Parts: sequence; structure tokens; C-alpha cells
Amino acid sequence: MAKNITFIVTKDCQLACKYCYLVGKNEKEQMSWETAKAAIDYILSHEDEFREESVIWDFIGGEPFMEIDLIDKICDYLKTEMFRRNHHWFNSYRFSFSTNGINYHTPKVQEFIKKNISHLSIGITIDGTERKHDLNRIYKQSNPDGSEHGSYRDVVRNIPLWLEQFPGGATKVTISSPDIPYIKESVLHLYSLGIHEVNINCVFEDVWQEGDDKLFEDQLMQLADAIIDGGYYTDYACSFYSENIGKPLDPELENQNWCGAGKMLAVDAAGMFYPCTRFAGYSLREKKPLIIGNVRDGIDKNKLRPFLTLDRMTQSPDKCKTCEVASGCAWCQGENYDAAATSTVYQRATAICLMHKARVRANNYYWNKLYRKLELEGQREQYEKNKREVKPVDC
Amino acid sequence: MLQYLVILLDDTSTSYCHYGVNKKERRLISLDHLRQGIRFGMVENLMIQFVYPDYALPQEYLDVIDTIDHSNIKPMAVLDNDTDIVVLNSWDYDASKLKDAVVVLRTGWKQLNENHGMLKDLLAVVQRLNVVITDVERMTDSDREQYKTVLASLGKEVEQLYVDGKSPQFNLLTDRMMLTAMNNCNAGDTTITLAPNGKFYTCPAFYYEEESNSVGDLDSGLDIKNKQLYRLDHAPICRKCDAWQCRRCTWLNRKTTLEVNTPSHEQCVAAHLERNASRDLMLSLRSKGTFLPDKEEIKELTYLDPFEIATQWK
Ligand code: SF4
Ligand code: SF4
Ligand code: SF4
Repeated sequence: MAKNITFIVTKDCQLACKYCYLVGKNEKEQMSWETAKAAIDYILSHEDEFREESVIWDFIGGEPFMEIDLIDKICDYLKTEMFRRNHHWFNSYRFSFSTNGINYHTPKVQEFIKKNISHLSIGITIDGTERKHDLNRIYKQSNPDGSEHGSYRDVVRNIPLWLEQFPGGATKVTISSPDIPYIKESVLHLYSLGIHEVNINCVFEDVWQEGDDKLFEDQLMQLADAIIDGGYYTDYACSFYSENIGKPLDPELENQNWCGAGKMLAVDAAGMFYPCTRFAGYSLREKKPLIIGNVRDGIDKNKLRPFLTLDRMTQSPDKCKTCEVASGCAWCQGENYDAAATSTVYQRATAICLMHKARVRANNYYWNKLYRKLELEGQREQYEKNKREVKPVDC
Repeated sequence: MLQYLVILLDDTSTSYCHYGVNKKERRLISLDHLRQGIRFGMVENLMIQFVYPDYALPQEYLDVIDTIDHSNIKPMAVLDNDTDIVVLNSWDYDASKLKDAVVVLRTGWKQLNENHGMLKDLLAVVQRLNVVITDVERMTDSDREQYKTVLASLGKEVEQLYVDGKSPQFNLLTDRMMLTAMNNCNAGDTTITLAPNGKFYTCPAFYYEEESNSVGDLDSGLDIKNKQLYRLDHAPICRKCDAWQCRRCTWLNRKTTLEVNTPSHEQCVAAHLERNASRDLMLSLRSKGTFLPDKEEIKELTYLDPFEIATQWK
């Protein structure tokens, strides 16, 4: 299992996406080199507390590539230090980025990519068609005539370069209430751009309107028809459809927590440690940041204990304990904390309930339709052998 | 299910547990709130425990208190015949005044380490002694090593008292032998506190430390959000544990791990050292003859912190 360590290098971004959950985004909080170095020194000198086989050094923002100089310095230092200390993560590491893609082609970012390509994963966020993308993903600065300045064109021109450098490149799409009508066209558009893996999830926040679940189900059925009738299922994937969702869960054997908070570690510009970035002040609406230590004093292990002992049943309301379609119904520990009635990570938020149920129905439709088609064509066995596994999307 | 109502009669009412009293100004609960609190206890069928400050209350308060069956928790300074539990906040006490009393001794770890030799005389006279280590969450590894020695030596004293025909109850060493299941503080589950401001708290500690975190008031009633988290079955570490004598202090939990249902490493290790010392005491008493024949032996454990067996991710 890999340890995920996230540097929140900046809270700034060129865009002001309408759905961005980062309520406290700002231009001031950039990580200093001293803080980054102190975090690395702490982590690498406590090897016995970080026993995971490998590590993913994750860089997020805001927009991480706005801090490419710092990131380059951090990555160089990480490589040198892991080697110098003969750390068990040397050669078992990846650098991972989620970017808006705008600066992808710039010389500094390209130089960085070339230097680290064998240890690099980069995901570019693109929401779908131009219309759909520019509905949300707009620049902070409007056009001279005052209209909104969408970012689609600046992102899409970098997609070919990205796919050339990362042929398996996957993109992540987040669905909120206004996005539902565009789901089908967006996924098909992303496929047409050459992106073979589209990971989608619904936001965990309580944003849903009455009737959204019906609309959602309808979109997913239309998309299912398009994927199956268009034959995309052979080498394109969409994380909405999975054979493992929508089943009851055993209260004892399938009692694991969903989300990885606590297994992960995030550090921000002030040098504070969090169980995941969602617990940092800039992403919380209602609650105080949940700090588990800092680069100077290290991690307070007592504050990790609740995360490391969290299980599904203890945090779930009764309806989820007996739910017949519970598998694949996700939660985000940070959103649970933010939405809870008291200051706790032990109250599961279920704003997603009807959306999950709608997804399960559409998913059943998808597999019934697909397998019938494959059977009629005598292709089922072949398909099952070569099936593309899509990782479940956590958050 | 709720069973007990603790009523703090004054802002300076003595602590009888882990928390400290950080309010210095005397402020009595209003007579009105006192009456309403008693009424609440009566209609909810709760056993009421009054907690007293270190000065004499006005007669009108005593009259109201007397309208209901109750028990009294008082600091040593106002000890009288009407005291059910007496609290010692220092080691400067006169054991001869505590004959057959139920005593809570609140002490820092350092003082306990220095003075534990005095407990022999106290245990010889009292009916029951609860020692509360008020800074248990700050004990270090070496403190805990030392605590083991202190418990072993106290175990010898208790053993001798038993041999002499006395049977003092002592929370650190005899409770675990007598119990057959968890017996924790249960604040927020079976016990609730009414503070002098007319509001409810799960325990007095929350009134002193997080006053805004009340769980209802006399006018609108009790409203404990996420009430299930105060129950043992919603405490992933504790429900796997057999240190049955442990306070399982939800306030210390909140303070150290930010969650009321999750204990700190320090609390667990201290409780396990007590549990293990009880085991030694029980074995030793049994080697001398029949002792608690209907009770099971306390098993030997390989850990001092049940977190090790409760964690999801190894
Ligand atoms: S949130 Fe709804 S769909 Fe998900 S497990 Fe709970 S009851 Fe089932
Ligand atoms: S929660 Fe219970 S054990 Fe802890 S201080 Fe309050 S009354 Fe005492
Ligand atoms: S020792 Fe720890 S796990 Fe056991 S009851 Fe006490 S606080 Fe809970």
C-alpha cells in the first residue's frame, strides 16, 4: 500500500470555478521552501512511522503548477534525500499532480515533466464539452466586455501533448446539480479527445435539488446506451459503471472505512499537518481546521487514532446499516466532519443517498444491456477476459 | 439510558474527577434553576447528585435540595454528616476524619508518586477510595514505568489489608477484580450535568472547558447531538477492551483525540497498568485461599493499548 503525502503548495489558482469547494482560496498563502523542507525532513527522518511500501508525493493547490519552481526544488530535494538516507521509498515513489492544465505547455512545466517522467502521474481536469466546461471553469479575470472568460480552449490545446506524454491519462469529473444534463455529452466528448478513462463522482456536499436523481438516472441510461451501442466499452472506461456497486454489505466482513483520511497526510503553507487536505481551513465551511500536528513538533498520534479505528458501521446512520444497495456508496470523511451536528468525523453525511440509488439503477441497466449484447454476439467470454478495471474514485 | 443528574451548585463547586475548575468567582445556581433542575430529575426519574463548593450554602438552598432524595458530593472543607462522597484536592488531609467515608482523592501524577505511601492508612479507614490522576494524559513512558512500581507497592498494601480481614474498595486495584463488565463514567449516556448557568452538559468538564458546547437547557430540554457516540458500542477501541474499571473519560478523549469516543494512548496504558496490577493482586490473594470464587481470572494480555487490536489498518 502507498502512503499519500500532499503538499498544499498554494491556495491560489488562475480560475474561479463556480463549484470549487475551496472556500478559503486566496493569493497569499504560498508554501515557503523552509516549510517544505522542514516537512520533508520530518517525514523522512521518521521512517519507522511511515512503513508503507511506497509513497505518492502529491501536489495540489489551488493550481499547483503556479508554483513550479518550488515544486521542482521539492522534488529534487526529495530524490536526493531519499537516496542519501537510503530510505525504503527510494525508487518506490511517484509525484502526482491534479492540474487545470493551463500552464501544462510552459517551458518550466515541460522541463519538470521531462526530468521526472518515469515517476510522474498528472491528471488534467476537463469537464466535458466547451459549453459544459466554460459553464463552471472560468478565469478569475472576466473578458474586457465583462463577460465570463471560460478556460476550455486553453486547456484543450494541451490535451494532445499530455496524452502523448501520458498515454493512459485519465481525467476526473465532478458532478454537481447543474452539471447533470451534460453528463452524457461530456463523457462522449472526453472520449473523442482521446481520453480513455473518465473518472466521475458526484460531490458529497448537500447540493442536490428535488428531481436530480431522476435526471441523473436518465443521463446515465442515455450514456449507457451510447457506450454500448457505440462499442466504446471495449477500450474506454467510465467509473460510473461498476459491477461491484449496489449490493448489501456484511456488517462485520465489509465494515471498512471508505475514505483514506488519516492514512494520508497533508501539509499546508503554515506547516500544519492534516489527515487529508479536506481538513485544512480553506476547504471547510463550518468547522475549525482539524490539525494533527506541524512540521516542528511532528504528528500527534492521538489525533490519528479516531481515523485509524473508524469503521463503516460506527459512523453510519441506521438506514445505511441495512441498505440493500450500500456497496459503492461513498463518503468523504472531510465532508462528514464539515456537515456533522457536532465536531466529529463519526457522523456519515448521506446527501448523496438518492444519487447513489439512481446510479445503481442505471448501473444495473448498463450491465444487463451489455451482457445481453455480448452474449448475442458470442463475445462475453472474450470481454470478461480483457476487461478494463477502473479504480473506484474516492474523492 | 439516562439514570443520573449531576447538579453543580456553584461555579466553584469542587471537581470530583479529571477536570479542573477554572472559574474562580463564586456564582450559585439560581434558586429557580435549582428547582427546575430537581423537577427535571424527578420527571425523568433520575438519581440526583449535588456537587458543593467549599463554603456553606444559604438555608433556602438546603431546603430546596431537601425536597428530593439525592446524594451529596462535597469538598473536604465542608465535610459533614450529610456527605456521601468527599473530595480531597490535596494530600493534606486528616485520615481519622474519613472513617467509613467514600473518598475521591484528586492528585497529579508527581504527587501520587511521592505520597502513595500515605494511602495505606487511608485505605485502612475508608469504605471506598477513588484516586483520580488529574494529569494522566501527560504521563510519559518513564512515568508509566514508575506507575507500575507504585501500583505494585499499593497492591501489597491492599493485599495485607485483605489478609487482616479488611476489604477496602480501591478503584485502581479492586474494581477490576469485582466487575463482570465495563463500568465507565458514561457521561452523556447514563449521566448528565446541569451547570449553574441553567444549561446541560455531558459532564462538568465541558462546562468549564467548552462552555458553548452545551447539550440543551432547562427551558428547551435535553438535546444531545450524536448521542450514540457516548455509548460503548460506538467506541471502536473501548468496545474491544477489558479494562473494565477504566473511567473511559469522554472529556479526556475529546481533549486528546478530538473525539469523545476515542481514548488517548496515555489513558489506555494507565488503565491497563491498573488492570494488570489488579490481576496480580487477584492471583496473589487466590494463592492464599479462596477468593472471589465466582469471578473469572483476569487474562494476561500482550498489549497495554487496545488500539493495537482495534486499528483497521495494520
Ligand atoms: S446513503 Fe443511502 S444509498 Fe448510501 S448506503 Fe446510505 S441508505 Fe444506502
Ligand atoms: S467525562 Fe466522566 S470521567 Fe471524564 S471528567 Fe467528566 S465525569 Fe470525569
Ligand atoms: S483502557 Fe482505553 S480502550 Fe479500554 S476502556 Fe479505557 S479508554 Fe477505553
